[in-house]
Amino acid sequence: MNKRNRKLREKISNAFELPQDIIMDVAKVTIIGTNQVTIENHKGIIEYGENQIRINIGSGILILDGKHLAIKAILQEEITIMGEISGISF
Amino acid sequence: MFVVRIWNYLRGYAIIIVKGLKIERFINLAVVNNIYIWDIQKLDYTTVKAKIGLENFSRLREIVKRTDSTVNVLEKRGLPFFIKSVKRRKLFYSALLLLAVLIYVMSSFIWMIEIVGVKQVEKEKIIRQLYAEGLREGVYKGKINKRVIENRILIHMPELSWIGIQIKGTKAVVEVVEKREEPPIVSRNDACDIVAAKDGVIQKLLALNGDSLVKDGETVRKGQVLVTGRIVRQGLDVRYVHAMAQVNARTWHEDAEEILLQQVEYKQTGRTDRQYKLKILDREFSRKRTAKFKEFNEYIRERNLLSFGDYIFPVKLIEYKYMELEPEIKQITVEEAKARCAERLGARIKLQIPEDAVVLNKKIDYYVDQKTVKAKIAVEILEDIAAKRKIEQEEPLPEPSPAKPAP
Repeated sequence: MNKRNRKLREKISNAFELPQDIIMDVAKVTIIGTNQVTIENHKGIIEYGENQIRINIGSGILILDGKHLAIKAILQEEITIMGEISGISF
Repeated sequence: MFVVRIWNYLRGYAIIIVKGLKIERFINLAVVNNIYIWDIQKLDYTTVKAKIGLENFSRLREIVKRTDSTVNVLEKRGLPFFIKSVKRRKLFYSALLLLAVLIYVMSSFIWMIEIVGVKQVEKEKIIRQLYAEGLREGVYKGKINKRVIENRILIHMPELSWIGIQIKGTKAVVEVVEKREEPPIVSRNDACDIVAAKDGVIQKLLALNGDSLVKDGETVRKGQVLVTGRIVRQGLDVRYVHAMAQVNARTWHEDAEEILLQQVEYKQTGRTDRQYKLKILDREFSRKRTAKFKEFNEYIRERNLLSFGDYIFPVKLIEYKYMELEPEIKQITVEEAKARCAERLGARIKLQIPEDAVVLNKKIDYYVDQKTVKAKIAVEILEDIAAKRKIEQEEPLPEPSPAKPAP
């Protein structure tokens, strides 16, 4: 996706008030309680440890901190992580 | 989640241990190659535990090569592996299946008959009758028609007034209620006396047949002969007749009742507690069962958990429901207590009085003290107290002598 295409898509998304995660290839992070995080549109795992997981989300890196982190399921477009989550940062 | 787990179980999966320095790359490559792995758990710096579908396992080899890691299978789970083990241990599993079938088959027969509620009728007689109707040990449960057997036994055994058959597991519980013994009926051809059925004062005695022994206004005791069927005349042989009479007598009935002025009434507080118990065959499984409340009402409900066609498995869930009650002390007035006494006594005394009797007098006396109201009822009625009693005689009744009314 080049820069012009990206700008255009952003404009369309703003103009029609469409969610960005559908029009653009942006990650969607869902947090359920304090022990489950689902990331859609991810670009793969960068680092996987019991206390920290780093995930490539295209526009940057998502860092999950916590204890006993486990990957409950991983698919091309979606990843679900469970464990005692203490922080999410980008 | 549960559905996914069942699906995974049905397809079969393996728990694997992946060792290597490039774990992240391993996971990413698996995802890119459409290999579904789940429940990934880090064990230490270089090892992870994960689950993988059976059909994807062989495709891991490529990734293993590219990431320079090793894969070990820790455990194989799921239906395909179970089937494999069944095939390997045919004898064991066929024996298990046979056992299950055997239990099912055995539990569809009656193995025990229990009779409840017998007092005078011989148990043997009931059992014999049950056997004759087809309810015996070893009979197939499906063949038993409870209603038909109940009806037929009631026809054959007039000494029973009710019979109920319940099948509990492999046991048939037969509950019977016997008829109350009726006074023997004296045939019109037999000689008899008229005796008093109760204590009372004779108001009017009308002897239709036989010689009366008591006069109007006389007090008689229960069992006393009022009219005799044994007729003695001077110069004639002793004759025996079937005595008949109408004996109207005044009788008394009494009853007493006591009511406290302080009445305790229980009210529901709305708080409830439930406890459950599992019952398999006749055995109960539960934790120690105690109600939380001091005063409570208990409701018990049983539910069958499993049924297979007509067959109900002997597995029951028993629910105990407790509703908390709160005692409330209520003071009632003397008048109210009197009214309640009168109401209760009236209802109770009605049961003692025959329907066709005439009430001559009714009196209720109250005794009031500080705590209670006591009441006593006395009812005087006019009723027929005639009862027939057969005369045990040596010689039979003299042949056709038309019974003549006694003078």
